[in-house]
Amino acid sequence: MSTQAIPLATAHLKGPHVDFAGLSPLIALLGGAVLVLLLGLLGARWIRSQAVPTLSLLALATALGLTIWQWNADKSIVSGALRIDGLALVLNVVLIAGGACTVLLAWRSLAAREAAHGEFHALLLTSIAGMSLLAAAQNTVALFVGLELLSIPLYVLCATKLRSELSLESGLKYLIVGSVGSATLLYGLAMIYGATGATDFASIAASLSSGSLASDPLTLTGIALCVAGLCFKASVAPFHQWTPDVYEGAPTPVTAFMAVATKVAALGVFLRLFDVALISAHASWGPAVAVLATITILVGNVGALGQSSLKRMLAYSSVAQAGYMLAGVVVATQLGVQATVFYLAVYVAMNMASFAVIVARERETGLGDSIQAVAGLGRDRPLLAWPMTISMLALAGIPATAGFIGKFYLIDAAVQGGYTWLGVVIVVGSMISLGYYLPVVAAMWMRESPAGEAQTGVQSLPIGAPSPEAGGLPALAGGSPELDAASEGDATTDALGLSAPGPQPEVVLVAMLAGAATIFFGVIPQPLFNLVHGAGSALGLF
Amino acid sequence: MATTTYGWLVLLFPLLGTLAVGLGYRPLGGRASNRAAGWIGTAAIFLAFLAALGALISLQGHPPEHRQLVSSLWNYAATVGLDAQMSILVDPLSVFMILVVTGVSTLIHLYSISYMEGDRGFARYFSYLNFFVFSMLLLVLAGNFLLLIVGWAFVGAASYLLISFWYRRTTATRAGIKAFVINVVGDVGLVLGTYFIFKHTGTLDFLKSFHAAGAGAFGHGGENGDLVAGCVLLLVAAFAKSAQIPLHTWLPDAMEGPTPVSALIHAATMVTAGVYLIARMHPLFELVPSAQDVGAIVGAGTLLIAGTIGLAQTDIKRVIAYSTMSQIGYMIMGVSVGAYAAGLFHLMTHAFFKALLFMAAGSIIGAMAGEQSLDRMGGFRKAMPFTYGCFVIGGLALSGVPPFSGFFSKDDILLVTAERGGWHWALYVMGYVGALLTAVYTFRMIFRAFHGEPVAEARELEAGHPHHAEVGRNPATGEEEDSDVGFPGPIHAIAERALPMRVAMGVLALGAVGAGLVQIPKVDFVIDDFLRPSFAGSKLYEPHTRNGLLVFGLALGTLLALIGIALAHRVWVARPGTATAIRTRTRAGRALHELFVNKWYFDELIELLVVRPGVAAGGFARDTFERLFVEETLIGGPTGLVRAGSAAVRAAQSGFVRYYAALLVLGVTGVGFYFLLQS
Repeated sequence: MSTQAIPLATAHLKGPHVDFAGLSPLIALLGGAVLVLLLGLLGARWIRSQAVPTLSLLALATALGLTIWQWNADKSIVSGALRIDGLALVLNVVLIAGGACTVLLAWRSLAAREAAHGEFHALLLTSIAGMSLLAAAQNTVALFVGLELLSIPLYVLCATKLRSELSLESGLKYLIVGSVGSATLLYGLAMIYGATGATDFASIAASLSSGSLASDPLTLTGIALCVAGLCFKASVAPFHQWTPDVYEGAPTPVTAFMAVATKVAALGVFLRLFDVALISAHASWGPAVAVLATITILVGNVGALGQSSLKRMLAYSSVAQAGYMLAGVVVATQLGVQATVFYLAVYVAMNMASFAVIVARERETGLGDSIQAVAGLGRDRPLLAWPMTISMLALAGIPATAGFIGKFYLIDAAVQGGYTWLGVVIVVGSMISLGYYLPVVAAMWMRESPAGEAQTGVQSLPIGAPSPEAGGLPALAGGSPELDAASEGDATTDALGLSAPGPQPEVVLVAMLAGAATIFFGVIPQPLFNLVHGAGSALGLF
Repeated sequence: MATTTYGWLVLLFPLLGTLAVGLGYRPLGGRASNRAAGWIGTAAIFLAFLAALGALISLQGHPPEHRQLVSSLWNYAATVGLDAQMSILVDPLSVFMILVVTGVSTLIHLYSISYMEGDRGFARYFSYLNFFVFSMLLLVLAGNFLLLIVGWAFVGAASYLLISFWYRRTTATRAGIKAFVINVVGDVGLVLGTYFIFKHTGTLDFLKSFHAAGAGAFGHGGENGDLVAGCVLLLVAAFAKSAQIPLHTWLPDAMEGPTPVSALIHAATMVTAGVYLIARMHPLFELVPSAQDVGAIVGAGTLLIAGTIGLAQTDIKRVIAYSTMSQIGYMIMGVSVGAYAAGLFHLMTHAFFKALLFMAAGSIIGAMAGEQSLDRMGGFRKAMPFTYGCFVIGGLALSGVPPFSGFFSKDDILLVTAERGGWHWALYVMGYVGALLTAVYTFRMIFRAFHGEPVAEARELEAGHPHHAEVGRNPATGEEEDSDVGFPGPIHAIAERALPMRVAMGVLALGAVGAGLVQIPKVDFVIDDFLRPSFAGSKLYEPHTRNGLLVFGLALGTLLALIGIALAHRVWVARPGTATAIRTRTRAGRALHELFVNKWYFDELIELLVVRPGVAAGGFARDTFERLFVEETLIGGPTGLVRAGSAAVRAAQSGFVRYYAALLVLGVTGVGFYFLLQS
């Protein structure tokens, strides 16, 4: 490898040709970020609290439109640094959807207010731009730039709830651990560059496929460090420790964003780097990543058991879900890529539904993200209870939800790729996961709401009607909805006597849309299959 | 509009109805006197009926050889070897079924608006009722086995909800559970049967399966063992849904539901599903005559046994329930011997007169304020002339007196049965014995309820005051009940005072009188001709009527019906007390009465053969296998492991970055080592 010429020495500087059409979604996002930041400087309160999020949504919509405009593109831009293909475009759409949900969830959040709305949303848009960049990265430099562009705004976003120690701690922890992860990855990329003499994915693949470079210690060390570095970002065990702490401490809309969008970007880059650039070394990294996936699935699912904080529970659950998705990466087949991308899209919908409900209940009950906050939701707020139920069942992989189809697809990919045991691990993991998803559903439908418990003592029931204490069944179990009609009109007051917040139509909308999408793609998966198919065939190196 | 679009609309309206009423129960039915839920439910089914008419007209516009139309909305799963589609099959058979189902169901909904008035569960009731009809329509419109199974299971679930509608009555909830459990036995049969068929044909689609079977997927000549197993399992499904021996015990108990529900279960939906299933699967059944024989014999046995039980029951609804079993026996026998058109014709006429009988029974139960025993009834003829008229019309149609509708359809089945020759003559004889029994028990019911000395309730009604019970009672056990939700409401409706009930019964009475005229032997062949495209490949479909036998059968049927009525008249009107005399004085009479009253001891038999061994085995397994092996080893071990793991993970999650850093170093080192070992 030392015999290879160093390209930099002979290169003369020349500005790359820039394909602005291909870059346009990215430009829209970054331009939007600048505008949002400027707009946020204006004094009027309504501008900050209403116009800024609206503008952010507009920026996201523009980016979405431009992405769709580029739909059938398959080209390398910026002298091969980025690749606009099916995978990049599909992931862009998923990211933008996740970003839009986050903007809606953050609309009335304390965090956005404290961070002066402009900054919050500008950071958010920048982070999405970084993810978009990452999904399209075609060389290691672009990969690293994208990764940092995504991470640094996130560190700050985690700490935007300035007056909350937890939030600050979460930001700091994320910064420290994330920096270590970035450094590890950078070191790994440098070693791969050293071994192959290339930063470009295609060139790396080409040099690895010829000769014995794929089993060279330098290459392998590089790959090992890359695996570890990316595992930080995707919160794969044993590099997941930051996840529960950070998720719990960060403002909930930011947590939602981190849970879904970061995962999309990280898995996207996993696919690009490992299934394209390092495909020749598949024999070495395949089993390693498979073992990591197994550990992740087990640790995530086992850790989520017994958590009383919903955000912590979802953090562990996201660890486990990352493990499932790694199965699609491990097999390094078209089917695997498709399954991973399919699951990513579904994953965004499932998580957004539950995070939206958590956001809504946090503001309504003052109980934070404790599981208590959703107790009795089925009776009080069916519009929130249904999305949450759907989301929990989908995350556990119950049929007729998109989560089932996604898992089925992943297991199919694992089995066909020769990793049958990994499929078994996914099933075992899903089985354990019921142990923490179902209690949430049970709390919503079968427990009294914290407000209702205070009331039942004085509530006079119709004569002869079964009282809740005497074993009256909840509506789902065949109890009497007519009884509800009788007690209709009882104002649901706040448990802690907090002033009830106004309606939050945008949060409910996010929850319902995400829940509906989860069911829709569970019953009619075909459109999503078609979408994902393009993403799979885009990685034409198999 | 395409013909299949009408099919989809038929499914859409009841689904929308059930959702609208179910989700909007507060505004639609939360208060008493708010009957919006009822009208919405009725309108939904009526719209479905109109769509079914549209499908009929549109289907007739196609040439006969192109009247089997499949429409698929989307693929649920289209992987290798599996074609699960959301598809419906619109052909003469399914159109015939949806017309009967939606038509009769509309009237039952209409009747229910009055009958369920004042019940606290009014909106819930209509939501369930619409769901029931939707499930049945899904069952008959399904274009493949998968959707058929879905519809089949939905019908079972809906019947559970409706039979246990008064959920605070323990008898009702128990009956609901019984119906559900026995229906699940049928579901299992259907799924396994489908598997045996799918294994050879490789497709779930009906038409493709039939085509594959015709092309030799099950071999040529001789009976294929798998197909016999598949068809017998399908028969198990049909027996469970259609209440054929020995899976019939849920049906009489299902009378615990509100009376219109009984009408719905018995007339238009559910119990006809088995008949439909056998007719739909005829290309498969015709390949395995032995399975057909099983169906024919069970059908014939059921029609006789149910008829004898009907003779001895005293609960008016149960008598009608056993008569349903018996009539479904005719249909199952008919479609199993190849009398497809005749069996379905009888299904249609039966839907009319049986719904009518149930509605009339509901009216008289209303007049008795919930009491159902024939022993307590009597002399309602003058007090309830309209109900009486309807009951008699229904009874005459059921007994097969010309020119009422049952006459034509029943004799049609028996005629085709006889034409098969050989041992089928035994079925022919059984059918006519059953006809005699039918006339006797039907008119026993009429004479006991409407003739004789008027009881106190009848006198009150004649004086213009409908009887009102001080406290509601469970007619089965006599326990006191309130009229809150979960029990019947305080208002009891009778047809004489409720226009919707009168309209529904009037229309059905017209059907019971006239529906038989659409297919008069030797005169017109409307049903035969209409259904022919669905049975195009059948060897048994074309009737080759023997004139002599036809005339003989018609005359014999008339004669037996009249003899039965005369017999009933003599025993219960002309010489009251004869029945008691027969029952007490002779030893044979006593024994037979015991046998019939105890329903041939089927419940006890099932208890002895299935339930008790099941309970014993279950108890044994619980005490030994489960406690020692499952709970301690299988569950205890892994749960302990998972719990320990959970604790370990949480312990590692200390919150200190320095520990994380340590683990991180460990992780990177581990991964690094692994890769270095690779080189």
